[in-house]
Formats: sequence, structure tokens, C-alpha cells
Amino acid sequence: MNTQQVDFHDTRVLRSSGLSIFIDNGEIEQISNNYTSGTACRALVKGSWGIVSSDNIGDPDSMLFSAAKLSGQAHRISPRQDIELAGAESPLIHDLPVVEKDPDDVSIEEKVELLLDIHKRAKVRDISSSTVMYSESVTEVDYSNSEGVEVSYSLVRTGFAVTAVASLNGVFQMGRESKFNVCGYELFDRYDALELAETAGNTARDLLSASVPKGDRMPVILDQELAGVFIHEAVGHATEADHIAEGNSILAGKIGSQIGSSCISVVDDPSMHGYGYYPVDDEGVESRPATLIEKGVLKSFLHSRETAALFPDTGRPGNARSQGLARPIIRMSNTYIKNGDSSFEEMLSGIKDGIYLIGSRGGQVNPGEGVFQFNAERGFLVENGELTTPVRDVSLSGHTLDILKHVQMAAGDMKMTSGRCGKGGQLAPVCDGSPHILVSEATVGGSG
Amino acid sequence: MSSDINIIYDMAEMAQKAAKRSGADEVEVFGLMASSVNVDIQLDRIDLARESFSRGIGVKAVVNGAVGFSSTNDPARIVDAAKAATSSASVRNSDPDWTGLPQACDYSVVKGIHDPRIANIDVETCIDLSMKMIDGAVSLDDARPTSGKFTCLESDYVILNSNGVEVREASTRIDGFIECRAGDGNDMSTAYEFDISRNHDIDFFNIGSEAARQALEGVGGVGVDTCKTDVLLKPNAIADILESTFINSLNSENVQKGRSALAGKLGEKIGADSLDIVDDGLLEGGIGSASADDEGTPSRNNHILENGVLGTYLYDKYTAGKDGVESTGNAVRGNYAQSTYIDIRNLEILYPPSDIIVETQKGMLVGSVIGAHTANPISGDFSVEARNSFLIEDGDIGSPIKSMMVTGNAFELLQNICGAGRDIRVLGNIITPTVKVSGLKIVG
Repeated sequence: MNTQQVDFHDTRVLRSSGLSIFIDNGEIEQISNNYTSGTACRALVKGSWGIVSSDNIGDPDSMLFSAAKLSGQAHRISPRQDIELAGAESPLIHDLPVVEKDPDDVSIEEKVELLLDIHKRAKVRDISSSTVMYSESVTEVDYSNSEGVEVSYSLVRTGFAVTAVASLNGVFQMGRESKFNVCGYELFDRYDALELAETAGNTARDLLSASVPKGDRMPVILDQELAGVFIHEAVGHATEADHIAEGNSILAGKIGSQIGSSCISVVDDPSMHGYGYYPVDDEGVESRPATLIEKGVLKSFLHSRETAALFPDTGRPGNARSQGLARPIIRMSNTYIKNGDSSFEEMLSGIKDGIYLIGSRGGQVNPGEGVFQFNAERGFLVENGELTTPVRDVSLSGHTLDILKHVQMAAGDMKMTSGRCGKGGQLAPVCDGSPHILVSEATVGGSG
Repeated sequence: MSSDINIIYDMAEMAQKAAKRSGADEVEVFGLMASSVNVDIQLDRIDLARESFSRGIGVKAVVNGAVGFSSTNDPARIVDAAKAATSSASVRNSDPDWTGLPQACDYSVVKGIHDPRIANIDVETCIDLSMKMIDGAVSLDDARPTSGKFTCLESDYVILNSNGVEVREASTRIDGFIECRAGDGNDMSTAYEFDISRNHDIDFFNIGSEAARQALEGVGGVGVDTCKTDVLLKPNAIADILESTFINSLNSENVQKGRSALAGKLGEKIGADSLDIVDDGLLEGGIGSASADDEGTPSRNNHILENGVLGTYLYDKYTAGKDGVESTGNAVRGNYAQSTYIDIRNLEILYPPSDIIVETQKGMLVGSVIGAHTANPISGDFSVEARNSFLIEDGDIGSPIKSMMVTGNAFELLQNICGAGRDIRVLGNIITPTVKVSGLKIVG
């Protein structure tokens, strides 16, 4: 097959190097250096994609030839409706994050010293062990495609996480704090890592004496981090147009309809300088903010060039991302609920018998059924408008649309949290955030 | 697929020499070369075929008992990587607990981990096998596939260390996964099925038809009331719950660092009377089987639980040295860019089988769970959303359950196992039947 029969092709060349340091109980457990490079060529023949990827900088022409052959074979055996790709204007790389302190200019000894200090600060009373993880990486990306787009950029990512484990009489509890961003070593000027370490330690210690609540339906206040996880897991994934195409999203066909209370507006913004930032996506489309929900009305989906053409007038492409050389798939970036006009105090004062859930230990969602589950790090019972008993091992579950409908208030104190999101076997750096939100009724799980 | 292991062997030797020259006392190099074919399914069509080739090395350099690690896939950067490993090791304090890398020894041959039919597979065959999975998924009326994946892989690895260890082995793997849905609107049900093998012996049509059947069975779900009841956890569900709790606690590193609820419990009864658990690195055809673990310690079969009594933790060479025992051969790694960590090889849950559904008067059958990774890995407390679940009434499977949470503690769960089915499944490196647990809490 010659490239004449190929409807579209693109090539990504990646070069990256990284350093990670892992401190365990005050000992350097591991220092790891990685140097990798690779090439991925993608070809489209009618309705089928072919990809060839190889470690090292391969010969793009022969890889492209093989990729075209693969798509041709897939098309012959399982013909699929022709794919049209949504048009995308030529991307401009602008507003790249400026690295103020190149991590390379800081000696490994200095980094280790800081991490050991972080460890020490996490070891408040009753802390039996702590871990500190640091990572830095620089990735250079060259993207080109058959439409003449050629862009190159380089991104530095730096971050750390501290975990403290408290134990007393056979009870173990954990606290964790982390900061990751598209920046250099100035991360440690922006955030007080030592104070965060102490917070992690205090959280773990306080959880030792927290009680485990009874599971029930009740009014719930979600803090910024947990509400961010909710909006990412339960709502964001359901707006990914590949899920829509697969008939695996509760939001299919709902553009323009009121899917939640009018206090909810949601944005996904890859151009924001958070951990989910990218200047162009892995199909060469320039990043722009997308309003997913405005005052409870579903406004757009997240798209690749393929799905943006498949579902016209439901948003623009620009959210195709890949981990390394893998296939680009539709991902979120920096996703958040916009500030509302209520306050945390106002939320509290209206609750007779409810719960305040803080932080997240991750979660999972089935976007097709709209069922989700995630665990809070901790919380407090709310009785007659006041925070009372501290609680732990508590989770929130239910139906996404049910929760969205029952959001009664959003406060004005939005905060973002960085993390990594897994989908289709690929991890992507993301941020999510929210102000405090009040849900009038939700299922809280606990074994008490 | 084809690969020439000599290239990777040469890279590994070069790295070993460079690390020695830069001042390392001991050196271990793990080299991996892999080629794979992936096929992606969207709805009832194949939307992508992918071939990928990877090769690279991971270097462990030891200076005064401290280990530094580096990796690269770029032949031009092997010397840089080796030097970086040595200088990282030099930053660390010397470690008095270090007892050295494994010594050269003889290895058993593991059967059934390399199938030439997979090594020599062509892309057309991969696409055909993926089509069979789709055929199965559309074979039942009213259920349809949403997405799926096919993967097959051949990999060759080499482990060299400065004590003379030299291991080379080739293996293959093939797997298929598909998700189906049935019903619509507020009564939509989804289910997935998968199978994985070292050999070209998977029934791909069956993966598809099973996913479809389970999706159909879930339509018309009912609500349940909060209660304590007998819960039958099918293989996917019990494996997910144990993975993030019990298995984490078996890791000797977590035990030594005060992060395991099983610390100090060797020889104690921690499980039900008839519960045996083994972890076998030599299991014929096992997904986690190899003649050696990933630092070159010979694989073996370890008795973790015998009649509910805890027999051993899982060790690598370093943690074993610290406890004055032999390594159990549980140093593994995901790929060359990662250093070794401790994990299971092929964990088998063994319990006398019976007709557990017929024997259950009242209870719940849970097909799979979501959110198991949010369990507290140390305390073992979990709270998960049950999926593909059914009421059991008078020894029969009844209505599907729309939504419920199962909460409990993984260690109490091990004590409260009171039955097992005859439906043993190989879920990658966990092998288990359906397990019946008394008195778990359900939140409706």
C-alpha cells in the first residue's frame, strides 16, 4: 500500500528524561534515572486506524508504511464507516509555562536533603512511618501530520507526594498530601512542602481516634478535593465522546438539557497552567477551555478530531492525549466546578443531620450506568449546623445524575488538586477542582 | 512477531561493564525485548490495529549496600544510564542490611509459558480473533458490545548480575476483553468479560457471548435494603478486594516497615479453617510463572496459608536477608524502566468446593466490584460498589440488583469464608473460585 491510499497520517517523536527519588521511613529507598525515546506513526484508511510504535527514533517512512498496512488490513476484515476528521486550525504554541528553576540545576544532594526534611516534618506524634516521593521530568514532543501541521514543544513536570501512617493499638491510618505541576523546582517556592508534610501527619494521627459512621442516605457537604474527584470521575468521564459513541454514557443525547441543578457549571481547560496542561493535544490541536456544563445545562462533550466530526455542534476537538507512544484517546485535562455564591458556613447552618466529607482516596465510575463510588479520606458528622464527630473509612456512592440534581449550593472557594487519571490502560496527568458543594441527599457508605 | 535476544544481551553486557567501571561493587542488568499486537474494538467493529516494539534495559548498581537504578531504551545512552545508577547509589548511605544480589544457581524449567503459535502470529489472525469476540458479543439478541481489546505479546528477557547470574527466557501472552450493554435509559446494564493465557487456547467467541449474557441478566435490577447477609463473591470480586488489602499486607517490605496488619502474625490463624493459599512462581502456564523472579532468584511454590495459618510473607533477596530467611522469589517488575518490587507470582485460593448457591437460603451474589483500590491497604477496611449482582433466595439466583455497596474488612472476610464454588478462574496471576463469606454488610 502506498501513502496515496492513506486518508490521514501523523507522527509523534518523543524524547524524555526523568528522575525520581523515593524516601521511605527517612531512608533513601530508591533514586531512579530514566532516558527514553520513541516514535509512533498513525495512519487512517477509510474507517480504520493503524499505529506502529517503536522505542528509539525509528525510520518514520517505513513505520508509516507499516501503519498504513495495518489500517488497510483492519479495514478489509472489519470495514467501518469512513472517518471524517473535524477541521482544526493550525496550532500556535504560546503561553508555555516558564521554568524558573531548572530541576537539573539543583544537585541531587540538595533534593535529597529537602525530602528528608519533609519526612521529618511528617513524623508528628503517633506516626509510625512515612514515605516521600519526588519526580521531575522533561519531555520533548515533535508532532507532524499529513495536513502540514508541524509543532514541537518541551514540558517540564515536577512534583512530590508525602504519605504518613499513624498506628496505635493495631489501628493504622494514613494521611497524604501532594503537589504536581507543569513547572520546575520553583514548585517548592510556591508551596510550603514542610507544612503540607505536617498536615499529612496530623491527618493520619487524627484519624486514629475518628469513628466509622453508619451507612445511610443523608445531606452531604463535599470539600474541594472530593467534589473535584466527583466532577472528574462521575461527570467528566461521561462527557468523553468515545464513551458517547460506544453508547456507554448517561449523557448521550443530552446536549442542551438540564442535567443538574443551576448551581453547577463545569469547565475543562487544558490551557490552564495546572498538571493537566498541554499546549496542543496529541493530534496537533491547540488547547482551549471547554464549558461542559453551564448552570446545570449540558453544553459540550470532550472530543478527538474523529468524534468532533461524528457529533457535530457538541464541542471542538483538542482532548486527544496519549501516554507515551500509545494511541491518543479522549481525556480530561484541568477540570473544575466553577465558584458559586454560597459559603461553607451557609451550607453547615442548614443541615440538621448530615456529613462533611473531606479529601479523596480515589474512586471509580461506570459511565454507562452512571454509577460511581469513591472514598473520602475523612470527614465530620454534621449535627444541628455544627461539625461534631470526626469520621473515617467513609465512601460516597450513587447515580451521577441523581447527585447533580441534588446539588443545593456551591461556595466561592474553588481549589485544584493534581493527580493522574487512568483510562484504557493509559495514565494522564490531570487536575480537578471545585468549591465546597452541598448535596441535599446522597448514599454514604460506612461499616459502623 | 520476531525479536533477536542477542541485541538486548549485548546492551545488558555493555551496561554491566560500564556500571562496574564507574565504581559499582555489584551490578544487575535486566534487559527486555517485546513485540506486541493490539486490536481495539469500538461497538461491533475494529477501529484500530497496532504493532509495537520495545526494548530496553534497567540497571541496578550497588555501592556499599546502597542501590541506584536507571533505565534506557537508547543504545547511545547506555553508558550515561550505568553511570547515573552508580552515582545515585553513592548518594545513599551504606545499608548494613544489604546481603548482596542473588548468587548464580540452577533453575527449574517452567512449562507452558511460551507458545510459538503466539510468537509467530500475524496481524490478520489477531484481527480475526478479535472478530470472534465481537461475533460472540452480538450472538444474543438485545445485547451489544461497547468496546473491547485484544492483545498478544512475545517477550524475551535477560538478567545478568556480577555474581554470575545469567537467566534468559522467552514467554508469550494473549488476552481478550470486551464490554457489553443491554437495556436502555434508566434500566441499562453493562458487563465485561476477559480471558488471558500464555498459550493460544482462548475461546474468544465465548468471551463475547459471556459478556453479552451477563449484561442481559442485569436488566430489570431491583433495590435492596441495608442488611448483614451471606455474600458470594465471584472470582473477579474476591480477587479485587484481596489484591488491595491482604496481598499488600503479605509484602515483607510492608511488614518490616510497620505497614502491614499481618506483622507478627506468622504461625497464627488468620483465615478460615479449611482455607489454603499458595503462591506458585513455577505454575505450568501461569501468567506470573518464570524460571526465576526478576532479580534472578529461582522461582518456587510458597505456602502462604495452610488451614488458615499464616506460613510466610512474600520476600525478595533484600527483605529476606533482613529477616534472616530465604527469598521466596517474589521480586517482580512491570518493565525494564522499573526496578524490582515485591508482589505475588500466581496466587491460588484453595477451599473445599461445594454447591454454594444451592446451599444459600438467603444472600447476595456479587459478580464484580468497583472501587476496590480505595480500600485501606493497612487496616483492610473496604467499601465497594457491587456490580453484576443478584439476590439469592432458597438456593436459587433471583433478581439482579440495581445498585448496592458491600462494606467490610478484608482480614475479617478471610476468617469468615464458609464456602467456595467449583468455578475456579484464572484472572491473570490470581486464581480463585467464587468464595462465600458470612455476615458482610450491604448498603442499599
